[in-house]
Amino acid sequence: MGRGKGRSVTTPAPTLPSPKSEAFGGGVLKGRRGRGLDRRSTFLILYLPPLIWLGLFFLIPILLMAAFSFRADTYGALFENWNLGLNQYATVVATGSYWRLLAVSSLMALVISISAVALSYPLSYFLAFHAGKRAGLYLVLLLVPFWTSYLLRVMAWKIMLGTDGVINSLLMYTGVIKEPLEALLYNRSAVILTLIYVWIPFAALPILAALQRIEWTLFEAAADLGARPYHQFMRITLPLSLPGVLAAFFMVFIPTIGEYVTPLLVGGSRGFMYGNIIQDFFTKAANWPLGSALSMIMLAATLILVFIATRLIKLEDLLQ
Amino acid sequence: MKSRWSMLFIARGLMFALVLVLSACGAAPATEVSPAEQTGSLTVLDWAGYDGQDFWVDFKNTYPKVTVNFEIGESDPDIYAKMKAGDQADIFHPYTGWLQFYVDEGLVQEIDTSKLSNWDKVPDYFKKIGQIDGKQYFVPWDWGFSSILYRTDKIPEGIDSWAALLDPKYKGHISMWDDGPSAVTVSSYIHGWDETKITPDQLSQIKQEWIDQRKLNLTYWAGEPELDQAMASGDVWLAYAWQGAYATLLSQGVPVAYANPKEKRNSWVGVYGIRKGTKNYDLALKFLDQKLATATGNNVVNEFYYGSANQDVMSGITDANLKEVFSLNDPNILQHTNFTPNVTADQRDAWTKMWAEVKAAP
Repeated sequence: MGRGKGRSVTTPAPTLPSPKSEAFGGGVLKGRRGRGLDRRSTFLILYLPPLIWLGLFFLIPILLMAAFSFRADTYGALFENWNLGLNQYATVVATGSYWRLLAVSSLMALVISISAVALSYPLSYFLAFHAGKRAGLYLVLLLVPFWTSYLLRVMAWKIMLGTDGVINSLLMYTGVIKEPLEALLYNRSAVILTLIYVWIPFAALPILAALQRIEWTLFEAAADLGARPYHQFMRITLPLSLPGVLAAFFMVFIPTIGEYVTPLLVGGSRGFMYGNIIQDFFTKAANWPLGSALSMIMLAATLILVFIATRLIKLEDLLQ
Repeated sequence: MKSRWSMLFIARGLMFALVLVLSACGAAPATEVSPAEQTGSLTVLDWAGYDGQDFWVDFKNTYPKVTVNFEIGESDPDIYAKMKAGDQADIFHPYTGWLQFYVDEGLVQEIDTSKLSNWDKVPDYFKKIGQIDGKQYFVPWDWGFSSILYRTDKIPEGIDSWAALLDPKYKGHISMWDDGPSAVTVSSYIHGWDETKITPDQLSQIKQEWIDQRKLNLTYWAGEPELDQAMASGDVWLAYAWQGAYATLLSQGVPVAYANPKEKRNSWVGVYGIRKGTKNYDLALKFLDQKLATATGNNVVNEFYYGSANQDVMSGITDANLKEVFSLNDPNILQHTNFTPNVTADQRDAWTKMWAEVKAAP
């Protein structure tokens, strides 16, 4: 498919049309406006495959879901008997508990992402500045949990927190408690604890990348000017690593709002998140329209929250 | 987007025409080939695990030259969604509670029972399960109970009512299945309501009952292994459960019993349907006939602890644990259980919404 350089030169300057250009119009235009054909072939070779991939498996599914959310009922085959209507959204709007759960899930995601970032920052700091030659080894150790399945790691927390689990057994053995603590597992705290654990290695990577980019000369200059380590950290390290911190925060926050596997396994009867409700309508009720409406609302809420967050943080940046 | 859909319709139309032509050709051969020489291929949309050869061993041995392909569905809604989306499987495997929709949406072909040599071995109450609007649309195949499974060491007094699932006495040790329609079923049994005629008022009462029940419920279980583990560890003392969990825990030596509530147990039945418009209708019937044969039925009983619709298989069980699991010492057990009724899509929808609100409640 038009891979070789020669081929793309002979291709008649095509109207690169199609869904991709709508969404990623900027990219397409840039490629075309370029003076030489080189840019165009660069575009074709480097950007087109991922754009097609994203268009097919990301954009079209989201558009389909948006379309489904306006479908009034579930009668008829998937693409037949479409009655348009807003009643799925009306159902959601009328059900106060869904909104409450969305708020609770956002709050949980906020707590989880802030904790994961705060806990992974020292890890990344150590790897970037103090691990020396062993940094590679430590990085591998940090990533070791990824070698096991996600489900298995969550199940491991069940073994840790259960009434006859590791923590309870240890506390009972040492005589700290007489009866096993039942409050450890099957509640919201267990969900938060497990998710923080799961996300720490993810959050550490972008922070590490940002820290590694900081020039050593900056620290030397600061030291020459008499800055103490605390001031060096506050004036150089932290501000320069903020992009990484932000990236880490969003990398945790966005997927966590829609999380549903962990609450299902360790959340008990009262630890459910908004994602569980969406999952129920897709997989248990075969009610895709309502599930889609719930998803679109979550998508909108996430976008708004992210927008607000970026605004707030930019303000702070300016103040610095 | 519009042109996209119309392309799709044209594609579907072409496919339909193709199926018509092919089925016309398929009708041509006049003489029956011997089973051993029969060729062809079938696609079965089934649950994970049922694709194992043990569960269609009689067909394999009788028709060795026929290729059987399996597609896996995760759950009833998943299988239903796949069939609705135009899945081309010849045979599919839903469970009671999900049958009406296939008929309403015109997705299932009537069964010609005269072609099933093993049909006589199926008791009438099972046959009736597969009938909708007076027609035999489905072949019953596997079945089991839902009831309360409990730890006899923690609850020595025993359990005699479904109401135990909502009893504050067992706070923190109850586990309900994560399923709205089943919650409606349990409440209907307790109140003596007809679950196919639940009014909006009754539904909101049911919702409140289960919202209150959350304070007592340790966790909703989603998969049987999860329930087995929670009961074996002693965290859960009583749970809504199928007989499979009972059999598993019995074999592990966990002290458990399976209740006979005064409101009666629930029974569910798995059935096979043939897709409307399949070009392999005759071969599909042969497959279902062999599905009802003895060796296949024995494997289901022994490996999955599910009952077989073939009465000979059930009568042939000698293992004491299994007899206990299926309550075989009580020959009338199936007459005094409540079979899961057929519900409409609107009912299922309302019940799942109710359950989502229970789970989302503060």
